[in-house]
Amino acid sequence: MSLEVLDLRKRFGEVQALDGVSFDVAPGEVFGFLGANGAGKTTTMRIALGFLRPDTGSVAWAGRPVHEWPRLTWGYMPEERGLYPRMPVLEQLVFFASLYGVSRSQARRDALDWLARFRISDYADRRAESLSKGNQQKVQFIATVLHGPDVLLMDEPFAGLDPVNVALLKSAFLEMRDRGKTLVFSTHQLDQAEELCDSVAIIDRGRLVTSGSTRDVKRSTGHQTVRLATSGDGDLDWLREIPSVQVTRPGRDYTELRVEAGTDPQSVLRAAMDRGDDVYRFEVADPSLEEVFVERVGALDVEERTLAAAQESPR
Amino acid sequence: MRDLPNILAVARREFLTRARTRTFVFGTLILVIGVVAIAFVPVIVSYFESQDESKIAVWSTEAELSSDPVATLDALLNAPTGAQVPGDSAGQGFTVTGVTDLDEARTGADKGDPTAVLAIERAPDDELTFTLYTNGSAVGRVAQLVRQASTAIAIADRLDRLGIEPADQASLFTPAEYTVKWPDPARTDAPESAAEQGSSYLLGFGMTILIFMMIILYGNWVAMSVVEEKSSRVMEVILNAARPFQLLTGKVVGVGAVAGVQYLAILVAGAVALLIQGPVSDMVLGNGGGSIELPEGLTIGLLIEFVVYGVLGFMLYAVLYAAAGSLVSRQEDVSQVVMPMALVSTAGYMIAVYAATGMLDIRSGAIVVLSQVPFLSPFLMLSRSAAGEVAPWEIVLSIILLLAAIAVSLWIAARIYAAGVLLYGQRPSLRTIWRLARTGM
Repeated sequence: MSLEVLDLRKRFGEVQALDGVSFDVAPGEVFGFLGANGAGKTTTMRIALGFLRPDTGSVAWAGRPVHEWPRLTWGYMPEERGLYPRMPVLEQLVFFASLYGVSRSQARRDALDWLARFRISDYADRRAESLSKGNQQKVQFIATVLHGPDVLLMDEPFAGLDPVNVALLKSAFLEMRDRGKTLVFSTHQLDQAEELCDSVAIIDRGRLVTSGSTRDVKRSTGHQTVRLATSGDGDLDWLREIPSVQVTRPGRDYTELRVEAGTDPQSVLRAAMDRGDDVYRFEVADPSLEEVFVERVGALDVEERTLAAAQESPR
Repeated sequence: MRDLPNILAVARREFLTRARTRTFVFGTLILVIGVVAIAFVPVIVSYFESQDESKIAVWSTEAELSSDPVATLDALLNAPTGAQVPGDSAGQGFTVTGVTDLDEARTGADKGDPTAVLAIERAPDDELTFTLYTNGSAVGRVAQLVRQASTAIAIADRLDRLGIEPADQASLFTPAEYTVKWPDPARTDAPESAAEQGSSYLLGFGMTILIFMMIILYGNWVAMSVVEEKSSRVMEVILNAARPFQLLTGKVVGVGAVAGVQYLAILVAGAVALLIQGPVSDMVLGNGGGSIELPEGLTIGLLIEFVVYGVLGFMLYAVLYAAAGSLVSRQEDVSQVVMPMALVSTAGYMIAVYAATGMLDIRSGAIVVLSQVPFLSPFLMLSRSAAGEVAPWEIVLSIILLLAAIAVSLWIAARIYAAGVLLYGQRPSLRTIWRLARTGM
């Protein structure tokens, strides 16, 4: 009873879009699909939904190929938001749900509930094009979940949302999870993924880099992060002398260190105490997803992020 | 038919969205008004003609003419059906009076009352000469009618001078016995009358135009609507819910229903206008002469054929229009990708028009064969059928071929559509389209 993606390969002309992608999504979990633009996230989702046929490989849900499940099983939020610009909001929500076989009256009731949740009831009879981007995106989310799908596949659901709406959407995510739905979403905002996801997969240029529970992935590099604040702050030379330890973020408040695999983080604490400093803060943590990503894939470089942000903002 | 609910849902949305637009409502309204106006043209024309009374003054030096020229002109000009001048159906509305002072009458005619003065004199060679004084046209309706009447008076006068009694004169004008027969001796049915042939050809011509317009206009609408869904990216949302085949078929059915409603509104308006034409003309013209005349050759069978060929022809072309629309991302590119369909339908339409108007022989083998080709049969079979040149089995065969072609087109179009709707950017090459049609995605 899980979503099994097995050895997907897909070539578009010269471009090998997917080159052997496999991962498992356990039912009822929130799964983050991480990668830069063009890494193959959308293609993987489109194959999972049956829009595209893979050259090799398969996707199965609960042991049966995805195309054998009724369409009602799937909820999809495409990366490019898609609504009929000139159709009233409520009317198109009812239309979408009716395509999945939901009765019009049922769809209408549920849609009105959701609109109220998202505080956009007033827009029910307005044309979609007259809504702000953020509100359109909420409508898009409602269109994704209105028919009560078991599996939600969402492509960059947080892109272009302001913090208030991000919070609204996050709570909706968690509610869907509590109702037993399986959520898969792609993002390149790694802090969102870290906050929400039970499991993640990192994909780069069509290849799966790593996947598993968020905790395991964060630990997969082997090294650990130590945050340290002592009375001797400002003098970092002694830290640099400890073998297998690197200063990654010297700061006033605290200093962040990277401790290589096989080295006990406690050795840093001992070294500090041996020096006779007072230790105000000593914290051992897993590296952030962002660090893992940078280490395994290379930087989601600044230029690309700016570009992605620039593409999102006008929408 | 588990596809049916979704096809209907898509068609329903398409229909409601289209039918609610101002363009559609006003467009239909204007067309209906146009049709009613055209249907009332005969009434309007005869109304204006009845208002427009011509006064003809007759002045003659010859008091001893056997027939009274005033009475003769009056009878000839006001004959109930105007056979005098071809194309003029109402030779009515003339008042003919005799005058004694030519100069006074000419002065009056210069001011418009009377409309014209006809002077009849006898030339030295005993022939009558006629002079018409008028400010109107020398080749106008009045001049033409008066000229014909004058000839009749002159002939009667010559016969008088030859000493033939008026009673005998009538027999001289008895028409000769004359028959037209088919060249094929086995054929014994009556040859078509000119009127019948003309109107049934015209009927085929009109129906062909209607089907052609439906394919071109609404086919384009189907393609536009697909591109709209692509460019608004709503396509991916509905693609998750419904299969491409359902989306494509629903769209064609929905736009087809919009077209059907528009056509029905026009046809009903036209029929009602024709039916009430008689009573209305009675009211306006105050005579009992108004009669309902449906175009000759318009049978229920032909109407059914028109509906069947219209619907099937539209389906065949529209599914391909939808597939073509799925290949482009911008509305500006639509006209390019629909070019093949536009060309083929134009060819079918032109051949049908040439055949219906006699520029091509509608009985020729080539036309008979072409009228079975699915993309052409909606135009050609209808033309042939309207001309009464087609056997029932030919119609049945062409409909079967048309249905088969629709099935094949639908299958190919659904595959192109499934892959095309996810293509953005560059318009795909022919080779890509072929690959899509073969592999599906």
